[in-house]
Amino acid sequence: MFLNRSEGLALALPAALFTFLVFLVPVGILLSVAFQNEDGALSLRGYLDFFAQPLNRAVFLRTLKLGVLVALTSAVIGYLAAFCIVNLPPASRGRIFGLVVLPLMISPVARTYAWIVILGRTGIVNDVVVGLGLSDTPLRLLFTETAVFIGLLQLFLPLMIISLVSSMENIPKDVVPAARVLGASWLQVFVRIILPLTKEGLVIGGTLVFTGALTAYITPAILGGSKVLMLETLLYQKVNVSNDFVSASVIAMILIVMCFSANLALKRVASVRR
Amino acid sequence: MTKSLAALTFSAALVATAAAAQETLTISVYSFAQDAYKEALYDPFEEICGCELVIETGNSVERMAKVEANAADPVIDLAVISAHDALSLAEKGLLQPIDPSRLSNFDKLYPAARDPLGDNMAVGYTFYASSIVYREDLIDIDSWADLLGDDLAGNVALPNITGTQGPLTLMMLDKAAGGDGSDFSGTITAVGEEADDIVTFYSRSSELAQLMNQEEVIAAPVGRFAWSRFKSSPLPFAWAEPAEGQAGGMNVMILTADNGNEELAYQLMDYWLSTEVQTRIAEALIDSPANAEVVVSDEVAENLTYGADLINSLNILAPDAIIANRNAWVEQWNAEVIR
Repeated sequence: MFLNRSEGLALALPAALFTFLVFLVPVGILLSVAFQNEDGALSLRGYLDFFAQPLNRAVFLRTLKLGVLVALTSAVIGYLAAFCIVNLPPASRGRIFGLVVLPLMISPVARTYAWIVILGRTGIVNDVVVGLGLSDTPLRLLFTETAVFIGLLQLFLPLMIISLVSSMENIPKDVVPAARVLGASWLQVFVRIILPLTKEGLVIGGTLVFTGALTAYITPAILGGSKVLMLETLLYQKVNVSNDFVSASVIAMILIVMCFSANLALKRVASVRR
Repeated sequence: MTKSLAALTFSAALVATAAAAQETLTISVYSFAQDAYKEALYDPFEEICGCELVIETGNSVERMAKVEANAADPVIDLAVISAHDALSLAEKGLLQPIDPSRLSNFDKLYPAARDPLGDNMAVGYTFYASSIVYREDLIDIDSWADLLGDDLAGNVALPNITGTQGPLTLMMLDKAAGGDGSDFSGTITAVGEEADDIVTFYSRSSELAQLMNQEEVIAAPVGRFAWSRFKSSPLPFAWAEPAEGQAGGMNVMILTADNGNEELAYQLMDYWLSTEVQTRIAEALIDSPANAEVVVSDEVAENLTYGADLINSLNILAPDAIIANRNAWVEQWNAEVIR
């Protein structure tokens, strides 16, 4: 495409330089801090100390659990929604797809605060629960893992739906009806046709949702508070409350490793299915 | 035309030179009520000194980290901070003693504000009381122990241990349980046993105000400086006067060591402590005065920690006790309360 190789490199240089300066250099500094002891020598001390604390282990497991749950649930809901969207007439498809994308245009802070109103003691959910006689008193929903799960799911589900819709649009229109005509059940259609043909979208969506849920700060901070700490809120505490940059760097490294691992694991699952 | 352009350029150069020559004073302050501070303190001071104030804001940890990181060549000249955070900086040798003879308003301060850390390392500029704000239509609060009682189970919030209000609450809970307010280990265990009945452990008073206005929480300990947030609510909030009394604290002004800008820093410090400015700040309901000569209306006083009787009655947690025990408190809190 380019006249010569140096022309291509010159065009790529600004972006490469920007990425190097604002991403790779800070990550390098982070790595160097996260593998040093108090004397500056190379050490895994920070990691051993981190996992020696029961609270840190609990926060790590909670973050992993919520990340996996949000990714799995958004995959289930995402497949149903994406299947509906790609089978709609073009005009309706555009409108519904717009509704899916709309929440992404609203600030996560506004979206998360809305959940405080919805899940609060005087919120809609409790009005319905008490109104139907399911409970005599309003339920405590805020500052629980359930609240954080709901907030994260609402935040990242659109990313899964968008990824899956993009993949499903590439499936030939006749494939599913053909399988049904030949006697395949809906479950067989999903497992043997839709899933293999949309695995790239699932990998991309799963990675986006999982890493998003892992690294989200606002939603766990507002809906979980200090009672439902996650790695990101713990990291903030380490920096802004304890001034403990070594522990904060360790947490940042753990998050990076978790995100890369999730992406590799999903790609591996996808390649096995192939 | 050429002459006009030359004159314009010359004028612009003069203005630029004058601006460059203007002295600057960098101060580090809490980030709340900055518009009100600008009106009550910063703008009038800039007019008096003919200098420029550079305002740095942030939470205590960020601001302390900045003072420490720039110790060799201080960026901050004067800072306002909690007494225990100031002591922490003083122990690291990052502060210089304050010379009271350079402050004409020093003798007007309440005695407790004159040398709160010893060695004249700081001077208090505001006091604050801490008690329990509650819904008077739903509950009565007679003691700090009521916070962990059955009546409030599932309806109470406590401040997190990492903030200023957390240790004050533990001190008062300890006193309510018959302790002397110095050993918190039993109190933290007691809070841990009731943790499931505590809605959340809040970090900012604004967060608490929102939760209480949404009826998520009906009682919680909070600093008096946040009272105006509750007083203006349509819900019937009241300020408790528990049997054990109210807790309290003080924020102080400090000078960073060897900042080279002492002249202007003392000028601002003295102006800030003057009856005129302390009255203006009190009337704007920003900070309660440490200057004993300040006189405000009953209506204003009702919103503040005002008057010798109230200030002398406060249960104050010694800054050195906070510094010495904070890490142990946080560790036990994380293990038994947050889990």
